[in-house]
Parts: sequence; structure tokens; C-alpha cells
Amino acid sequence: MRKLKSTVVTALISGAVIAGCGEAQKSQQAEQSSAAPAVKQTVITVFAAASLTESLSEIGSAYEKKNPGVKVVFNFDSSGTLKRQIEEGAQSDIFISAAPKQMNELEKSGHIVNGSRFDFLENKVVLAVASGNPYTFNTFAELGTKLQNCKIPFAIGNSDVPVGQYSLKIFESLGLKPEELEKAGCLSYGSNVKEVTTQISEGMVSAGIVYATDAVSAGLTAVDTATEKLCGKVVYPAALTGGSSSDSEARKFLDYLGSTEARTVFEKIGFTVLKQ
Amino acid sequence: MDLYPLYNSARIALISSVLVFFLGICLAYYVAKLPALIRGALDVLFTVPLVLPPTVVGYLLLRFIGPHRFIGAFFFENFDIRLTMTWWSTVFATTVVAFPLMYRTTRGAFQSFDRNIEDSARTLGLSDSFIFWRIRLPCCRAGITAGLVLAFARAMGEYGATSMISGYTPGVTATISTTVYNLWRTGSDDLALRWVLLNLGISAVVLLCLNVFESRGRKS
Repeated sequence: MRKLKSTVVTALISGAVIAGCGEAQKSQQAEQSSAAPAVKQTVITVFAAASLTESLSEIGSAYEKKNPGVKVVFNFDSSGTLKRQIEEGAQSDIFISAAPKQMNELEKSGHIVNGSRFDFLENKVVLAVASGNPYTFNTFAELGTKLQNCKIPFAIGNSDVPVGQYSLKIFESLGLKPEELEKAGCLSYGSNVKEVTTQISEGMVSAGIVYATDAVSAGLTAVDTATEKLCGKVVYPAALTGGSSSDSEARKFLDYLGSTEARTVFEKIGFTVLKQ
Repeated sequence: MDLYPLYNSARIALISSVLVFFLGICLAYYVAKLPALIRGALDVLFTVPLVLPPTVVGYLLLRFIGPHRFIGAFFFENFDIRLTMTWWSTVFATTVVAFPLMYRTTRGAFQSFDRNIEDSARTLGLSDSFIFWRIRLPCCRAGITAGLVLAFARAMGEYGATSMISGYTPGVTATISTTVYNLWRTGSDDLALRWVLLNLGISAVVLLCLNVFESRGRKS
């Protein structure tokens, strides 16, 4: 029986350790960004909306090449999650949100460097389908009939994710009730826009609402673009969050984001750069 | 407070516990009889989900059961069934993740089982299946129950692979763990806390059960 007991205890301990790993990863991510390497290298930590993953990564490595000794570290997730992480004390120098809401809330709680905020990019919200459009979605207007008696769910972002908020605004403009669609199993919520694009391209959902830029980077087809009347303007504000001593370096990187080189990258996948 | 996630998590954990119970006992029994080399290899294969991050399990599962992949495409094209994004899709994830706990614990219990008892039963002319069901299993009851409780608890708390395979649809695929994460994200801390407390309660009960089984096993 002693042998048995030790097996059980080992299994229990390993189980507990492994179950804990999931949560540990998240906090580790935040910690890693604050742990500056021993060599005198400036680290700029950028918390940016998931929809900026491709473009900002490209710009970041270009910037590192031009400025030896500077390392740009990114944390890409939904703006809602990033906002929560900053509130919980995660180290970040720059925050670029996919909607004003999260930025407003951080500004109110005093996490933004005064006067550093500006409207940075503009994006479009689209109805995206996998190649071949297997469920023949054509316009936002027909979403109501399309989502009735669905076979598989339609994907939008969660209500704390900007793209989810824009999607819910579209649902509201169209007179659709998300609660009813949820109950019928016709609506699924992604925790950020990239989850939605993957679910669409993997065929796990019929279609979804994402940003025009994400549809481009994920190789999806945008069958319809939401008008300003349908979901408002999609503006990405950026600001300094004063996370570390490399404040001036962070400011320089923020300026670089408005440069012609950076602009080309953003415009290539469909962003409009609002401020130079 | 909508209790659907509790109901959903519980039924998923129950189903996968039943699956894992039979699979774990069968495989533990047969693997123990194999030659050392094959046994070692299978041990690694069956235990690996225990040490893999749940997201890796989720990724690998999606590679097989996604509607465009191998097994997923087969079911989709022939039966029009999608193996992802439903409440029962989560069972795939929880079964894979919980299996090693049942398998390992049962293997351990079988190993410490006194073979002399089995041999003497055989000299009395008892059949192998009688020996297995009426002698071996009752003797190893404590270990097997402990493994089952652990597997149930693990299935109940699965998050990573679950969220990748079933997504998050309130009232359909939402489990306790995905609900807590989504409540936290949306700033509904009060509600999240209630779920967290409920979860702590469940874990306490599970561990208590484990203790009871263990002490009972010691007595026998």
C-alpha cells in the first residue's frame, strides 16, 4: 500500500503543477517583458492590439536593425486583455488599442502619460469568410436570415474585445439579438481577433466579423465592409504608459511609427495612418 | 448567476471520467504484460499529455479533428458532423488530458498488487476474467478510485485545450474555466469571484474524497 500511496501523491502533485502551468504562463509573459537583460540594451515594451501583430512585428524588427542596442518587445492580445494587464501592474511602455474605449478607461485610471495620446490608425470592419465562401455570406444586411437555424456558429470577438464591440454594434444596428443567437448555439465569442480568423480559416465557424487588415493577413475573403453608419469609425489610439525608464526611447519608437517606412507597412495591409 | 457552466463542466468531466476509467484500466492491465521496451515506449506515449501544456494538446487535437483535417474532414464530409465548437467537443480535450492520471495511478496500483494471490486463485481453477474482476480490481480499488477522482478533477478544470477546441459560447460551450477567464476579461470581477469560490469548493470536496479513499485503502 505504501507504493500505491506514493504513486497517488506523485500523480496528484504532477497534476497540480501541470494545472497551474496555464495561469503561470500568462504572468510570466508580463514578467519577461520587464526583465531587462544585463547588457546595456534598451527594451521597449509595446502592448498592442492583436490586429497589429504582423505589421508591428515587421516594423519592430526594422527599427531594431536601425537602432542597435534597442530591443522592441511586443505583447499582442485583445485590447481588453491588455488593458486588464496594464491595470494589474504589467510593465508596458506603449499601448496601442484597437478602440478608444480601453484607452479612455486607462486614461481615467491614470495609467497613461499625460498628453501622449493620439489617434494613430484607422481600420475597417468586414464580414470575412473562408476561401470559396462555403456558407455563401454576401452582406451584413442578410446576417439576420443567415444566422437563423444555423448549423455551426458564427464567430465574433468577445464583448471586451474591440472587434467584438464593433460586431455587437453591427448586430444592434441590424436589430439582431446576440442572446438569442447564443442560446441557439449560433454565435461564438473569440478572445481576440486572431482567434476569430483562425476559427474561420479552419472551418470551425461559418464566417465571422474581423478587421479588414486581419482578413488580409489571414488570407480570408472580405465579402462586405461595415459602413460608418453600421458600426462607427474604427480608430486605434496610441499612448505612452510610462512603464519604465526608457521613456524617451519609447517616445522615439512612437514617432517612428508615423514615419514613411512604417506607414508603408501599415498601408500595405489596409490600415490608414491618421497621424504622421 | 447562470449555473450552466457548472452543469456543462460536470457532464463533460463525468463523461470523460467514464471513458478514462475503462481505457485507463484496460491499458494499464495490458501494458503491464508487455515486454519492457514496448512497455516503456507506451508508458511515455500515454503519460505525455500530463507534461504537455494544454495548448499543445489543443493544437494537436485540432490538427486531427478540425473540420479540414484528417479525422475531422472524414466526419464532416460523410456524416455532416463537426467535431469542434460543440459542448461535447470538449470531451476530446478533457479525456486526453485526464487519461494519464488514471493510467499512471492504476499502473502503480497493479504493480503493487500481490501476484501470489492471483496465482493461488489460478490453482483453484478460477478463470482469468473472474480473477481480474473479482480479485485484482477489488484489491486495487483504492488506487483506482484515487486515479478516477484525480482524472475527474483534472477534466473539470481543463482550460487551454478546451478553449481552443470548443471556443466560448455562453450557454452552449461555456465551462467553469472558460467562464472565469471571460468574466475576468470583461471586468465582471464579482461574478468571476463567485465562480472561483465555487471552484475552490469543488476542489476541496475532490481532495477530501481522495483522502477518504486513501485512508480506506490503507485500512484494507
